[in-house]
Amino acid sequence: MTTASKTAAPSKPAAPSKPAAPARLLTQVATERQTGALVVGGHPGGAVYVLEGRVIYAESPAAPGVGELLTASGRLAGRTWQTALDQGTSTARVGRLLVEQGHLTQGELELCVLGATYDAAYFALSAADAQVEFLDGAMHWLGPIAHIDPAAVNREVRRRAKMLDAIFPDQRVDAAVVTPATRAPRERVSLTALQWELLVHADGQRTPADLALLLGRAGFATIAELRRLAALGLLELPEVRAEAPEFVRLPQARGTAVDVNRPRISADNVGTATVPVISGVRPAAPGPPTAPRSRPLPATPLSPPPSSAPPSSAPPSSASPSATLSTPALPTSASPSLALPTSGQPSLVAPTSGPPSLVPPTSGPPSLAPPTSAPPTSATSSSTPSAHGLSARETSLQASSTQALPSRARSSSAPPASAPTVPGPPAPAALTEETSANGTVYRPPRLARRKPGAKLPKEVVGEPPQIHPGTDEVLLKRIRTALRALR
Amino acid sequence: MPGVDHCLQEAMAIPGAVGASIVDYTTGFPVATTGAAPNSDHEAAAAGTADVVQAATSRSLFVSALPHDLLEDLIITTAGGYHLLRLVHTDFDSRLVLYVWLDRHQGNLAVARRRMQKLADDLVAT
Repeated sequence: MTTASKTAAPSKPAAPSKPAAPARLLTQVATERQTGALVVGGHPGGAVYVLEGRVIYAESPAAPGVGELLTASGRLAGRTWQTALDQGTSTARVGRLLVEQGHLTQGELELCVLGATYDAAYFALSAADAQVEFLDGAMHWLGPIAHIDPAAVNREVRRRAKMLDAIFPDQRVDAAVVTPATRAPRERVSLTALQWELLVHADGQRTPADLALLLGRAGFATIAELRRLAALGLLELPEVRAEAPEFVRLPQARGTAVDVNRPRISADNVGTATVPVISGVRPAAPGPPTAPRSRPLPATPLSPPPSSAPPSSAPPSSASPSATLSTPALPTSASPSLALPTSGQPSLVAPTSGPPSLVPPTSGPPSLAPPTSAPPTSATSSSTPSAHGLSARETSLQASSTQALPSRARSSSAPPASAPTVPGPPAPAALTEETSANGTVYRPPRLARRKPGAKLPKEVVGEPPQIHPGTDEVLLKRIRTALRALR
Repeated sequence: MPGVDHCLQEAMAIPGAVGASIVDYTTGFPVATTGAAPNSDHEAAAAGTADVVQAATSRSLFVSALPHDLLEDLIITTAGGYHLLRLVHTDFDSRLVLYVWLDRHQGNLAVARRRMQKLADDLVAT
């Protein structure tokens, strides 16, 4: 061994990376009596270190190395191993240091290196075709402990592959995540110690390589035992699991929960719709025969919102010239702000009250007269087609505004500031929908979609907040007693 | 400082020893060999050795229910010789067995067994 070969750093790559059989390349390297590392790419890949044509070490991600074997078993403290690494890596004398310092016997070290080398060689060399690269002059930091004939290594690799197939011919067991069967397929099961360890530590996440590393067991022994377990029917085979990849169950809209992006039903096909009309369904105007013409897709009752939304093409019917102004129109956004203070939950409407200049958010709820908002609702009864054109976000807003409306009637808290600033027509556009809906098919969605932890709007939660507290309480009490008496 | 080769030399020094090897019994691979082997094939002998050890360790018939009542050695006698298998218990994970083939007439079973016990212990003793 020359001093140059002792350096841990590879000097130069002799052979460029190319797909080849790693075993054949190892033989070639051995016959030329080269020194270096045969780095095998792919999965799991690995590296075989050769010193003057003899294999001295091999490593692979799928096989625990000497350090993992010694520390995972508790034979060496992690500190001891780390110290030896620190001292000996640069000079490639880690193995010798451990023996010289009395942490290991020569026999233990040799046996450990031999076992780890054959183990890793199986993973590195068993691939029939892989990216192989020879780093000339590379030396492993462990140092030359064992000197193995490459032919014996190759022979052993082939033999191990055959052994595995004799146990259970399914290669997927080697790499796939280990999942123990939930129920043993027989009454009595007897396990070896290693099998027991594997089953105990298999959590449905760990691959065989993970388990080998965790337990400090040889990678090949792990795979062999796993194949035995698979042959016993104690493991779920990968293909079984692959058929049910349903990690996340997608939410399904059901009942009264309304999707914000719910499909809408156009006015024309509501009458003919065979689907039972539920709350998510879009309003059918009492009688706007103009609507069908504007529909690009009149036949499909459940056309997706974006395609079915024809704000620009909507007929400029009666009361809503402003609705044709297109979606983000300030008027429509302003109308919910009318209802906002009463709804008691500003968070719902706050983002939509677009231009803050128009609608002062600070406009305190209890300031002024309600009647300002009343007229628009009554005035706008027939402009539903235009309402179809509203974007999904706005419809959800309207939902909240419809919630707010009843309460608004009771509590006189409409913002005075917003009413004057908002141009007249817009408010109708938004409100029409619900007024017409109240009369006919359309039942407004109960709630807009909320975040998981968000509070319900107060008017939905229960009693309307503090309206004439004294008298209402009395009234309620009377009603309750009357009901009780009836029962 | 006894290494693997030294251990095998010692094993060959046992009276009547014909061949010796250290076998990884999970894979049936001879980690190290010296001397002769039955049918002069160390690898086949190792594979057979591994089968025997596997049978003894994995079947509940021979495995004691008592904790730490581990398998120590297996002795197979033939008309022409003794085959002694001594399990080498290392702390780290290596399932190894020391195998010695003795000539029937020159070998002494009791002595060989004692010597192998010492060898196996020395191999891994600190």
